[in-house]
Amino acid sequence: MSKRSSLGFSFIFMVAILVLSFSMIGVQAQDATPAPTETPIVAEIGSGATHISFWNGLTGSDGVTLNEMLSEFAAENPDVSVTVEMIVWNTLYQKLQTAFVAGTQPDVILLHASEVPQFGSFGVLRDLSDQYTSGGGWLPDDDISATTMSGMVWDGSIYGIPLDNHGRGLWINTDMFEAAGLSTDPATAPTTYEGWVDLFQQLTLDANGNNAQSPDFDPENVVQWGFTVGEWPNVNFLGALYQHGGSFLSEDGTTITVNSEAGITALQQLVDLVYTYHVSPPAAGFDTWQGFGAGAVAVLPTGTWYRNQSLLQSDINSTAWPTYQFGENKAAWFGAHTFMIPASTEGENLDAVLRMIQWVSENQVIWASSGQVPARISAQEALDPETYPSNILLGQTFSEYGIQDPQTTVTQELLTLLDVGMQEALNGIKPADQALNDAAVLMQEALDRQ
Amino acid sequence: MARIIGQRLTEPRHSIFPFSMNLKTREAIAAYLFLSPFLIFFAIFFVRATISSVGMSFYDWRLLRPTTPYVGLDNYIDLFSDPIWWSSVIHTIYFAVVTVLGTTIVGLLAAVAVTRPIHGQGFFRVLLYIPQLMSVGAMGLVWNWLLSTQFGVINYLLSFIGIRPINWLGDPNLVIPALSLATIWWTFGFPMLIFIAGLQGIPEHLYEAARIDGANGRQIFFRITLPLLRPTILFVTVTGIISHFQVFGQPYIITGGGGPGRSSWTVVIYLYQQAWVAYRMGFGAAVAVAIAAIMAVITAFQFLVISRRVEY
Repeated sequence: MSKRSSLGFSFIFMVAILVLSFSMIGVQAQDATPAPTETPIVAEIGSGATHISFWNGLTGSDGVTLNEMLSEFAAENPDVSVTVEMIVWNTLYQKLQTAFVAGTQPDVILLHASEVPQFGSFGVLRDLSDQYTSGGGWLPDDDISATTMSGMVWDGSIYGIPLDNHGRGLWINTDMFEAAGLSTDPATAPTTYEGWVDLFQQLTLDANGNNAQSPDFDPENVVQWGFTVGEWPNVNFLGALYQHGGSFLSEDGTTITVNSEAGITALQQLVDLVYTYHVSPPAAGFDTWQGFGAGAVAVLPTGTWYRNQSLLQSDINSTAWPTYQFGENKAAWFGAHTFMIPASTEGENLDAVLRMIQWVSENQVIWASSGQVPARISAQEALDPETYPSNILLGQTFSEYGIQDPQTTVTQELLTLLDVGMQEALNGIKPADQALNDAAVLMQEALDRQ
Repeated sequence: MARIIGQRLTEPRHSIFPFSMNLKTREAIAAYLFLSPFLIFFAIFFVRATISSVGMSFYDWRLLRPTTPYVGLDNYIDLFSDPIWWSSVIHTIYFAVVTVLGTTIVGLLAAVAVTRPIHGQGFFRVLLYIPQLMSVGAMGLVWNWLLSTQFGVINYLLSFIGIRPINWLGDPNLVIPALSLATIWWTFGFPMLIFIAGLQGIPEHLYEAARIDGANGRQIFFRITLPLLRPTILFVTVTGIISHFQVFGQPYIITGGGGPGRSSWTVVIYLYQQAWVAYRMGFGAAVAVAIAAIMAVITAFQFLVISRRVEY
């Protein structure tokens, strides 16, 4: 190739990539019909003289829902105004730490229940025991499930008031199920790993239309996947871990136990879905939501938050199923968005914050439109089955066999370390047992440092 | 007019300085006065922070923990005995070397191409520089899509020549070259600009003399252009290594955190994980000091090796 032609090729390559980049943005925009409502980064709600600041991580459509609720609250409480800042969760955790050091923390925050031990142990949160009826407050203790309530407590104090339960479930492409001659009734879902593999195999198709049970199936040329292991592998694994009788921590909370026999079995099963049964792409390099939206995935393991996304994808017919069962027991991971109040919030601001939390808590049925399951049992029971089928179905699984993140002061670090182990196994970098054992060593070091 | 301006610069009629000073001293003071806004902020936000970081690195400092025990060199001992740190160093060097080589070569070729007297020269210079203007977030998102295994445009184009989908971001052997490719496309515009300036600084009579002597295009490039560009190449490679050694955004956004596993963990991702996920600020400070030391050594090495043959 001459110098001139090589220069020309380089130039054309650069321009082509640039043009393709922007054309892809155009394609993305065309696919997303109708466009979701944008979530503002900062919202000023109400105009009352008592001004409170509120930070949360609801950067999706759920943030819009909460802001609408706060607008109603402000209309009923004209003396209060709220500045809401919506910050991506990981950044919110970091920003809170520096804000507490600098003394610039907000009046109220919405975090995950798994953050209660960390911030509770630092002594920067207000004890909210007096908000529950057992402490003379307004929130009936028996209106919150025992599992959810356990996440509010650290070292004998109650630091949180739960807004919701959000957790794992499956979204199935009903057209693909019907094309494969499979029932879409959640009651027909398999109850064994082998049963799920059989289901996924029937739903995995190569370019020639052969499913993964066919001897002519080409695993190198799959156009429709039965399952995906890539979205939030941690919680996929945690569900399977508990289904096999395993646990995250020892009973005394001092030893990491994810690499038990149950853990290795659970992770190996997920790995086998990729490399033995060829019913899922490897975790990296495959956008699971994009795949489901493009009609390339039949069963999407995701969460309650997918409800509104599924409504947006009007060309994909889908419905929610309870999460899979790979072991002898049932288990579904869930978390809880939780109101917490910094210890520094006092006086009129504290009064306004408590009124706001109580108003939102007593109107949790509205919150169900975000896709999440209201934390209060009374609100769960008040949901309309026609409007909120996924909230009700998945909410029942959390109540019956839900599991939460471990209660430690370093939970986020532990989950990050575990996630690396998941990626190493699910992308074929390490065998499942080695990946889990390596992760467990680092997790134990982190736990010992707390 | 030129003479009057020259007089005002060198012979002010009313000096702003209260004391009698010679011209050189007055010019030096004036220069420092002009520089002072930068120097003040540099001292407060860079020098002070750097010194604080060195101090912090000797403590087990967590953000919200009330006590901050002195641990001496323990953070450094832990750091240098951590195999994940060393693999992050190797990933970073690999990425920086490939990327600097790529941006230098592509930047030089692009500069040569757009320095020639062609129609629309300015348009092509702007067009080739446009990627550099993108934020790392936008660039990362676009390349995450481009490199997607099943839905990516690159795999789609490769399918026309019979190549099956490549898992660019899931294969630990491919992920850093893929990140380098994205970064080269994104950042070659800056070296291109520097090389354009360097090429315009080469006297035309040297090329004329070479052509009269019968030199062909290749000989002219390798015997005249390239040697006279050595100072520019030194600048581009030194600044490139410093810049790309601090890579964070591309692996963090394109692979979703430095994956698969830790296959694209760089030293800054390691620092981020320690300081902002584990909140080990003292340990994070030790990592930052180590990164600065490595960069200083690499830069000194570059100066020693390349500057020996640089013709200023």
